[in-house]
Amino acid sequence: MTTRIAGLPRETNQIGQTPWLLTALAYGLPVFFILIPLVSFLAYSFFWVKGTEVHYDLTLLNYIRIVTDEIYLPVLWRTCVLCLEVAALTILFGYPVAYFLAGLQGRKKYVLLMLLLVPLLMSYVIKIYAIRSILGGNGFLNRFLMATGLIQEPLTIFVFNLNAVLLALTALLIPFAVLPIFLSLERLPRNLLEASADLGASELQTFARVVLPLSLPGVIAAASFVFVLAIGDFLTPQMVGGNSGFTFGRIIYSQFGTAYNWPFGSALSVLLCVLVVIAIVIGGRFGNARGRA
Amino acid sequence: MKRLSSGTIGLGLLTAFVFVILYGPIFVPIISSFFTVKYGQVDWGNANLDSYQLLISNDGILTAVQNTLVVGVSAVVLGLILGCFLAMFYQFSQSRGRGFVQFIIFLPFLMPPIITGLALLIFFREIDFERSLVTVIIGHTVFVLALIYRTILVRLQALGMNMVEASYDLGASGWQTFRLIILPNLKSAMTGAAILAFALSFDETMITILVTGTDNTLPIRLWAMMRLGFTPDINALVTVILGFTTILVLVAARHLIPKEFTSREA
Repeated sequence: MTTRIAGLPRETNQIGQTPWLLTALAYGLPVFFILIPLVSFLAYSFFWVKGTEVHYDLTLLNYIRIVTDEIYLPVLWRTCVLCLEVAALTILFGYPVAYFLAGLQGRKKYVLLMLLLVPLLMSYVIKIYAIRSILGGNGFLNRFLMATGLIQEPLTIFVFNLNAVLLALTALLIPFAVLPIFLSLERLPRNLLEASADLGASELQTFARVVLPLSLPGVIAAASFVFVLAIGDFLTPQMVGGNSGFTFGRIIYSQFGTAYNWPFGSALSVLLCVLVVIAIVIGGRFGNARGRA
Repeated sequence: MKRLSSGTIGLGLLTAFVFVILYGPIFVPIISSFFTVKYGQVDWGNANLDSYQLLISNDGILTAVQNTLVVGVSAVVLGLILGCFLAMFYQFSQSRGRGFVQFIIFLPFLMPPIITGLALLIFFREIDFERSLVTVIIGHTVFVLALIYRTILVRLQALGMNMVEASYDLGASGWQTFRLIILPNLKSAMTGAAILAFALSFDETMITILVTGTDNTLPIRLWAMMRLGFTPDINALVTVILGFTTILVLVAARHLIPKEFTSREA
């Protein structure tokens, strides 16, 4: 960082002197509107509640309740498994797409990539609603399966349960898996592929021995991306999950609504944060390892 | 020329399938807005614009759209001012803690929205700040700031210090340098970031649902209506919004992508 201005005589370097008011603002605004809310949120997890009154003395009761109660950890575990499944499914679909896109030439490639990302900006609530109606008993999926003769009666295994949440989240999050994998495939040096071909490897061998291992950091990044987005989503499970599709996010949300126990909800969210940070660190570590190589 | 192997065709088909998954849920409301859908069957023979007429007379929805626009524009303007200021601070200041400031800015984008939303909810309650559209605007600004900041910073770094130093050497003041040198160079980055940020804000649901008061933005309104099932005018509204979003995205792409294209193809 210092090398940028190192060549300059000290006195011409007027840019470096920021007025104290601006410095104060540059620190103050992010701290006030982002850091303090996050810290007070962390602090809340050590308070407790009685009736509708929040008591501001520190306690570990919320955390003890999470560990000892038999509801929360199993739900957390199920949610983690669910989100890992979502990550696996999105990668299963996303990897071939990324591979296909990366193999295209010129402008076509970026136009298709763009088209892949556009649905992300389209109304989220409407998409969940549409997915729910597609998965529903009378929805497109069942009618399609019945038309093909695969099933006789409409299936109900995709309605208001964790399967529905799994499919809905997968459909929503695929683009987030494609992007990191695409980027890692794009950065793959062409000459490695040529060398592999010159040495007599078939297309499949080149893929299995060269492309796949080198794109694994992108896959890990994609997995951590999708996992974080899936585990933080409390609206999709609420909408398509029904009564049996209970996830950790929904429990947190309910603590701030009907259950009205903000400190306990905060403690649950802190747990969520820890998981998210772990996922990001894992994703980031592998991403950086590739950057250095 | 590359011959089409069966592998490539298979990949192409799979890609097409993924596009169907992605666009299927978007086409459902579009089709329903023009045709009558009953019991999951589309009545193709009877195209009409009835749902669009219903939409024009639905005050609740139109108010929500208006709120969404107010929030989006405010968040984008605030985000641009702050993002520009903070990016310049990071680029030009010698302050030791600027990496820390940057870390804070990125937090709401890294953390799931539920965390940002809950943190702000608790914060507003503790400082006794009534929840309203103002709190929604603050929430959205915090959320889109990272994106705007990052876009501007990347452009600033690409710009380099030469022009800024030249401007100072020629006797320009800091303000003149900002207005005449930096700002014009940031224009396309700011436009692109603003459009993307607006699109994000327009559809932001998870933070909004936590920090909003009695005024609803459109996604929250839709969320509330979804429990009862949508009326036909919602489909019309969604179609209009999708058209609008697509145009926005295309405009944003023009501002953000051309440079990438040329640099990649060169």
